Parts: sequence; structure tokens; C-alpha cells
Amino acid sequence: MSDQSRPIAEEELHAYVDGCLEAERQPAVLRYLQEHPEIARRVGAYQAQRAALRDAFREVAAEPIPPRLGLERLVQRRLSRQWRLWPAAACILVGLGLGGAGGWFLHGGMSPNPATIAMLAQAAVSNHMVYTADKRRPTELGASQRDDLARWVSNRLNHQVAPPDLSAEGYSYMGGRLAATPDGPAGQFMYTNAQAVRLTVFVLPLHSANSAPIQHVDFAHVDGCAWIDRNIGYTVVGDLPPAELRRLAEIVRRQFEATT
Amino acid sequence: MAVTGVLSHIEECIPALRRYATALLRNREDADDLVHDCLVRALDKLHTRRDDADVRAWLFTIMHNLFVSQLRRKKSRPAGEPLTESREATLTLRPDQETNLHFRDLVAALNRLPVEQRSVLLLVSVEDLSYAEAAGVLGIPIGTVMSRLARGRERLRQMTEGEQVRPVLRRVK
Repeated sequence: MSDQSRPIAEEELHAYVDGCLEAERQPAVLRYLQEHPEIARRVGAYQAQRAALRDAFREVAAEPIPPRLGLERLVQRRLSRQWRLWPAAACILVGLGLGGAGGWFLHGGMSPNPATIAMLAQAAVSNHMVYTADKRRPTELGASQRDDLARWVSNRLNHQVAPPDLSAEGYSYMGGRLAATPDGPAGQFMYTNAQAVRLTVFVLPLHSANSAPIQHVDFAHVDGCAWIDRNIGYTVVGDLPPAELRRLAEIVRRQFEATT
Repeated sequence: MAVTGVLSHIEECIPALRRYATALLRNREDADDLVHDCLVRALDKLHTRRDDADVRAWLFTIMHNLFVSQLRRKKSRPAGEPLTESREATLTLRPDQETNLHFRDLVAALNRLPVEQRSVLLLVSVEDLSYAEAAGVLGIPIGTVMSRLARGRERLRQMTEGEQVRPVLRRVK
């Protein structure tokens, strides 16, 4: 009994419309449609309907994805939330297999654990919020004690570091301090521009984090740009437009690269 | 497990998820809220995935389940806010399409279909899911997918063909 003689089922007409009809049934369905013009007209209408529906909603799928649906942002938000909830989040993330996510976002970087970046950025932002808000004593050592601060921080971090010079960008150096993080001591350098917007540069030695390119991190009140270079984590934090922050982060990174 | 792969697959699916949610909810903001919740849920469940296969159907399933529980919540609410007709119905159309009676009628007619038929029609016709995938996403037997598809297409045809008569009559006048 050949397939050809089997009567045509309604399901097969829809499969024909959707282009998923078995190849060997194709001739039988086509013949059936030729012999039944009324049904052929109906099937033609379904085909037109299918094409029109695809057209009607095509535009939505072609639009750029709104920022709040950006996957990178959602993952970052999730990581910073988890980090706040539980300092051991790094272990959980590795357990979840999310550790590999870093490689994807960092596009072929050395893929440190994304929790490391989250921790670094969180520590930088916390210290930024606490000390830039301080009217009387935002820094431990002021601009005039630049060399003293560099020595002090370098000793405690066990890594040579000096405050970057951002005067060419309109940011004057205010001073800095040694800051505390869950991962040990960090250096914080503070700057201000003509509009009295305060910017901090945060330096934190990390253990076995390799390198990661600059990435944007956003928190409720400020944004930051964080990166890791040969086991040293850096973050630039300020209430500034992302593009401006990014530009400053590039400059800071180049200066640190030149000195280390 | 290649999480990297899953994440990039998820990212590739976002435009389709937005398209389906928009067609289903007829309101851009509600649609993006639904997609957002779907992505957050997917990230929560990422560790339950074994491989990269069927990421698209998996995401549509998550979104459909969220949509259904949303419907249930709205239904349990006192009358008002009818789910069927919406002033945003035409928002899914391009400006140049708005003048196109055919598209507007089609979307309006689609919105008059019961949601069960609408979701099958959209998943199969627009999102290119196979009948089996659509059945999996909606949690119904494949036979039910076929009957909903047949009924949805036929009702949509009757509604739009009825309306296409109008321009012809105008021309005669």
C-alpha cells in the first residue's frame, strides 16, 4: 500500500503551509489541491496569513535590544546581588558553572571568575561612597603628600603604585588613602573636576585573577569601570556618563601600564 | 558544561522572545517586562541545563509558564482590564504598515482569537517552532497543537476575509 493513496489529512495541509510536510507526501498533497480548488484557496489564504504575520511582527525582532534586557547587565546585576548576599558566592558561582561566563563576556580574555570583578567593583564603589561624601576629610593624605601616599600604599599592597595624573583631563588630584576590602588592603586615589564631581581610582591586588579588559559596572548611585591586569584589579568610579568614565579608565590604565 | 555557549544562545534568542511577547501581550512595555522576567528565570535555572540543545524551546517554555501564571493572577483580580482588546494593538506595527489596512486588520483579528490559539499560531507561524516543540513549550499534546492551529488559522481567515470586502465596496461607491 503506497503512501500516495492515503487520504489527505487536515494536519498535512498545515504541514504543507508550514513547510514541514514529509517529502514523499508532497506530490499527493499537491494533486489533492489541484483537484479541490476550494481547499486550495483556503490553503493559499493560510500561506498568505503566515507570511503576513511574520511581516507584521518582523520589526520588533529587528530592533536593538533595550539595555535593561541586555544579558551582560542581567548577569552582572545577579553577580553583585549574590556577592552582597554571601561573600562565598564565588564558590557557588563556580559550582553553578558560571565561572566560564567570564570568558564569554570578556571576549577571549583570561576569564577570571566574574565574581572577582563583582567583588572588586563592589569594594571600589563602597569606598567611593564613604570617602567622597566626606566633606572634611575625604583623603587620608592630601595632594601635597603624593609621594608619601605612594610609598605607604605600595608597601601595604606589596606592589609599586603611584596616583595617576589626570590634570590634562580636567581632574585635579586631591589625595588618597589605604582602603579596606574583603580581599585585603587597597589604594584609593581621589580627583575632582571643575564641577566638583569626585572620581576615585581604586587599586586592589588580587590573587590568581590573571587579566580582564575594562568593563562597565553600574550600581544604584554611581557607575564604574573595572579591569584586571596581571593580578592587580583596578576600578575607576564616579557619577559620570559611561562614555566619559570609560575614556578616563583607558587613560588610567595606560598610565598604570607605563609605570609597572 | 559550556555555559559560555548557553549564554550566547540565550542572547541570540532575545529578539524572538521580544517578538513573541509583543504579539502575545500587545503592549511593548508588558512584553519587555515578561522577557526580562524570563531571562532572570533562565539565569536562575542555568545550572539545570546539561547542554546547548534546544535553548530556544527552553526559553519559550519558561516565558510561556510566566505568561500563564500572569494570566492567572489577572483573572483572579476583580473585573476590569480586559485582556483581549487593547489600545496598544497597533503599536506592534511599523508606521508605514499602519496605513496598511491589511496588516492592521490582521493584527486586530489575531488579537480577537482565544489566547490558546494565538500562542500556537505565533509559535508555529512566526517563531518557526516545530509542532513537537510548540507542544513541549505549551505543555499540551501535539494533537491539541494541530487542532488549535487549524481552528486559529480558519477563524483568522474568516475574520480577515470578511473585512477585506470593505475597500472593494468603497471603490464601487
